Amino acid sequence: MMIAGYNITKQYVSGGMFSTNKAVVKAVQGVNIKIKEKETVGLVGESGSGKTTLARLLIGLEEVTEGTILFNISDGELNEYEEALKKGDEGVIKRIEGMYDITKIPRSRLRKLRRYMSIVFQDPYSSLDPRMTVIDIIKEPMIATGYLSGEEANKRVLELLEKVGLPKWFAYRYPHELSGGQRQRVAIARALSTNPKFIALDEPTSALDVSTQAQILNLLKSLQRDEGLSYLLITHNISVASYLSDRMYVMYAGKLVEVGEREQVIKNPKHPYTIVLMSAVPKLGKIMQRVPVKGEPPNLVNLPTGCHFHPRCPYAFEYCGWNAVEVAEDLKYLLEGKYYDIGGEKIKVDVLSELKIRVEGLGYQDLEKIIKNEIEAVMSFKSIDSIKKESENAVSIELKEYITPKLYQLDDGRLVSCLLYDEKFINRK
Amino acid sequence: MDKVLEVKDLELKFVTRRGVFHALNGVNLELYKGEVLGVAGESGSGKSTLMLAIGGLLPSNAWVTRGEIVYMSKNIIQELVKEGDTKYVKKRNEKALKKLNEKLQSIRGSKISTVFQDPMTALNPVLQVGYQIAEAVYYHNPSVLARRILARYKATKDDMREILSILKNKEDYNEKLLKFIKGKNLEGLEEQVLFIWERNDLHDIKKEKLILSLAGEKVPRTALPFLYKIARSNKLERTPILSRFIKRILIKEGYRKAVEILSILKVPNPEKVVYMYPHELSGGMRQRVAIAIGLINNPEIVLLDEPTTALDVTVQAQVLDLVRSIRNKYSSSFIFVSHDLSVLYEVSDRIAIMYAGKVVEVGSKDEIVSKPLHPYTQSLLRAVPSIESEKISPIPGEVPDLRNLPKGCMFHPRCPYAMDICKNQEPPMYNLENGHKVACFLYGEKK
Repeated sequence: MMIAGYNITKQYVSGGMFSTNKAVVKAVQGVNIKIKEKETVGLVGESGSGKTTLARLLIGLEEVTEGTILFNISDGELNEYEEALKKGDEGVIKRIEGMYDITKIPRSRLRKLRRYMSIVFQDPYSSLDPRMTVIDIIKEPMIATGYLSGEEANKRVLELLEKVGLPKWFAYRYPHELSGGQRQRVAIARALSTNPKFIALDEPTSALDVSTQAQILNLLKSLQRDEGLSYLLITHNISVASYLSDRMYVMYAGKLVEVGEREQVIKNPKHPYTIVLMSAVPKLGKIMQRVPVKGEPPNLVNLPTGCHFHPRCPYAFEYCGWNAVEVAEDLKYLLEGKYYDIGGEKIKVDVLSELKIRVEGLGYQDLEKIIKNEIEAVMSFKSIDSIKKESENAVSIELKEYITPKLYQLDDGRLVSCLLYDEKFINRK
Repeated sequence: MDKVLEVKDLELKFVTRRGVFHALNGVNLELYKGEVLGVAGESGSGKSTLMLAIGGLLPSNAWVTRGEIVYMSKNIIQELVKEGDTKYVKKRNEKALKKLNEKLQSIRGSKISTVFQDPMTALNPVLQVGYQIAEAVYYHNPSVLARRILARYKATKDDMREILSILKNKEDYNEKLLKFIKGKNLEGLEEQVLFIWERNDLHDIKKEKLILSLAGEKVPRTALPFLYKIARSNKLERTPILSRFIKRILIKEGYRKAVEILSILKVPNPEKVVYMYPHELSGGMRQRVAIAIGLINNPEIVLLDEPTTALDVTVQAQVLDLVRSIRNKYSSSFIFVSHDLSVLYEVSDRIAIMYAGKVVEVGSKDEIVSKPLHPYTQSLLRAVPSIESEKISPIPGEVPDLRNLPKGCMFHPRCPYAMDICKNQEPPMYNLENGHKVACFLYGEKK
């Protein structure tokens, strides 16, 4: 196994040292990821879903808040490790983590390991040093990791240029003399220079034109075949991911929502978010019937409770994560608008706790009628467990407790993080 | 069909320190009334430059050497092209552009408006969203705002009750309402009343209350004569101090109009959003605000320059649906620029393909996608990965350097079918059936 990551979590604290309102940005939350040898794993998701952060964590450019990342571990030892995790065998866990876990090994050893992993960044206009010639740019990682130096390194640069389809005399040019596609080839040559086993491709073609994008994609494909590389391809472009990947990981708001073979995820998505995502991709030659979705990805400081996708999900039901704030907001909106005749501005809606609301100035029957009428249109009302009469014109509402979905394994082997695939709710589909 | 806009043989160069860039090399394009024209091309193909030229937003180093842009049967860039002009004189060119800018002030923003790619840079970060929308109306159509205020000032509760009875009478209330408002001389009121009445998230009682509350607006007495004047002449007050006082009143009205347009564009909570600053909004919301500024003056032509490129797929899908729905609501014609053909296929009626500053193929979207004729279009379609595709074949070579364009057909160095004639002669535009046009010798008379 090239990479096996367990429970990877990364949080950033925003705000400076003296800032009074510090906020915790939860960029990646408890992600498990595995990348085999010679495999391309596509990681898709919208901006802010944490895909770039995950890639930076996997190659040790950033420190994890929590979690284990085992790099280049043999399958036998990986099995041993997973057995030990199940049994809770501390000794074995410690031994294997001490050898392979890039979050725990000493820096000096990590530096040597760096030779085997590298990254291609999104924007070839800002990822190449404008004051270095192409040869120096490509040589730098070899020298930094101590892989090659001097004449040998120069020779390797010329080989690499040929490999990525650039003429040899480009070696003494500066990045500003090159076009976008040529720059990205230089960036790929740099990533290849230390003969790595694993490359993270962070949106490698999103800054390029369509015709150059196709050249780069085909180059990446043939390099993988020749060099036996493992790729982690990060992209928001589903078609690009589908073209290169063997398996796909779909992320939403810092969590994995679906993991499976490429064919499964693209042709027959199971998680509601994946369904929405696939139907949102415009296709040439046909006008899509879209699965409607409202709103935009959540802000990572204030994540929705339960399943992060539930406020936008077209299939959400009562246990998906509704809390009192959401229900109160929907109720207020109805009372001020559509049901203005009942009491207008006199009605007060208070949130008492995460699952409890108190409504003043409204009779029990009226509230029951509103909820009954709107339960089909307003999804959050489905989570209402009971309505209690407190006095003549005060009612309290209690919500059902939500369940946070885990990754459930389906019959075809893929993992989906949606309550619809929980044993308890399987017949709701 | 009527032509709203025609670009004829437009040639434009940018003179820079690093040389002369041939950005447009004889562009011919027509825009018909009510259609959405998609313009596709790679970076450097001149699609954005063309939008700048049509929108009257050319920078000072742009040098138009030939061609016309015909809008309302008038060439709007007449000043820029001089017969027999072969040398670039910086001062003279800048002067001509400045003059043109002043002339276009009355067209730009009100008749032809532009929505830019990146709403974060297109919007002013220190002004409230509502102010920026209001400003667009204030400068171009102050009479609209003045009329709205005056209508509320003049209307009485009884008028409102009568309007309500018309509205409640369901059958063709639109016409009757217009007639009533015209009779009472209350123009400007109809859009406010209809906006409230046609909301479906409000109870009828609330709607009635809101409509009744429109009547009898209090307006400072000193402002009244000026508002009447602006409503009549559509010109802004130029007196110092007083003009700022009037501006405050009109901008405040602009906020009300901004709420209306934002709710048409499906922005949740528009009443709150107008008081927010651009950084408080998400990408999709910002783009909707930019679109609102483009649409608020009901322009004849809206230029959308890559409006979805900076957005996520699901949000892009929302914006595309929005563009499709506003084209039914507004009578404008749209030019939608994108590098993504599948996006254009969703929204446009016709698609024009640009390469190296020329339109190489125009046709209905289905013909372009299913029966592409120009070799560039064909290779472009083969190079785009799609969910179904197993193989993509890239176009060999690179986009040509605009300072040093190939002779003859610009595409010949990359073209699989290049013939001898392509290297020396520029292909003309051949008209084929169904309005399909292509600039390639393969489709000319046999030679």
